[in-house]
Amino acid sequence: MRIPPQIFRLVLLTVGIVTSYSAARYFLTPPSFGQYGWFRGDALHLLQDRPRKYAGRKACDECHSEQVQKLAKAEHKTVSCESCHGVGLAHVDDPGVTLGRPTDGLCTRCHERDVARPVWLHQINPKNHYNGQHCVECHVPHQPNEVP
Amino acid sequence: MNSMPSAAPGQVPPGPNPAPVSAAKGPVSRRGLLRTLTGAIGGVLTLSAARAAKAAVQKGLATSEAPKGYDPLKHKWLMAIDVERCIGCGACVEACKTENNVPDAPYYFRTWIERYIIKRPKPGSGDARGEVVVDSVNGGMRKAGTRLPDLVPKEEILRGFYVPKLCNLCEHSPCAQVCPVGATFDSPDGVVLVDPKYCIGCGFCIQACPYGCRFMNPVTHTAEKCTMCYHRITRGLRPACVEVCPGEARIFGDLKNPVENDPITRFFETRKAEPLKPHLGTKPRVLYAGLDMEVR
Repeated sequence: MRIPPQIFRLVLLTVGIVTSYSAARYFLTPPSFGQYGWFRGDALHLLQDRPRKYAGRKACDECHSEQVQKLAKAEHKTVSCESCHGVGLAHVDDPGVTLGRPTDGLCTRCHERDVARPVWLHQINPKNHYNGQHCVECHVPHQPNEVP
Repeated sequence: MNSMPSAAPGQVPPGPNPAPVSAAKGPVSRRGLLRTLTGAIGGVLTLSAARAAKAAVQKGLATSEAPKGYDPLKHKWLMAIDVERCIGCGACVEACKTENNVPDAPYYFRTWIERYIIKRPKPGSGDARGEVVVDSVNGGMRKAGTRLPDLVPKEEILRGFYVPKLCNLCEHSPCAQVCPVGATFDSPDGVVLVDPKYCIGCGFCIQACPYGCRFMNPVTHTAEKCTMCYHRITRGLRPACVEVCPGEARIFGDLKNPVENDPITRFFETRKAEPLKPHLGTKPRVLYAGLDMEVR
């Protein structure tokens, strides 16, 4: 029994398509695909290797533990070092790199009166709260309840 | 077409169905055996060549970074938001932009703060609350010493509050479903991530996200979103926004490895929490405490 040529051509075409698909799949599927799920496992490593900039409070604690412990007992205990002092990883890697000095603007960033702010937060109106003075003349940033 | 008459008398005329040659010579001929052997050797050679070629191709595809002793299957990270603790200082937005090299323009954000202002109802209208005005000037980020513009006169305001927004880490994430190349995925440690090498920058995911948490990076031309600072949490650090948040409005933790006085466990012990847009069925993992009905 002979296979009719039109059927034979169709079979040939199908085999060709399936073969090229399997070959492409065999060659192009990344080796880590399916390691953790329906994605490339290496992507996780790629994202893990991005550079950091914030050091984290633990890194500050290694050298400045005295300040960190004092801060932990004061009103500002929830405020992290880098909230006010800025990115610190460069300083951790090389202590010669100094951090920027906090300014009055950093105090008002949180404590300026604002109707959308919650009531538990101490808020002031900079225009009548002080008269051209700097915040640190009356307040200690690390211990806000103490007087300098 | 006139070759048939000129054929020599002893030759077999080339018919449409000539008799098979091997059948006339018995089951195993020398030529047949040689053919089979050549085929087998050739097949083996092609297979090894294919293996070598595959290794070469995949060397080009694979990223060579070795794992850092971090097993994604042993962690489940989660962030929760306490709206009552957010003071709208914008430190998280600034930290996120710095940590993740998000472009400066005021419309690229991985996380941002929205300000909700509820106006007083019109006198005599009998309503409990008036119109709601929502804004997010520069993502809620304020430079030190500046304040956000007042959109509503003070006497018209009933109340206001800030809501931090970020990727909601949906269990049924629409962004992962629409990605045509499978570059967006749910990692086993609970973060929805984008594979920057495989993202083709088509922007489907940006349209699909009902929370508006994604943007197209103008430098890399790939979709970007909150990764919960994947490069930090896998090294035992907190995400940058959580690190700098002065009011502990952002609570972060590992559900599979709770630490002593675990903040996220405490949050779920003490607070009523709800997701954003629950009617969409995306099942966000990020839950908010203290939400008002206006928040979307």
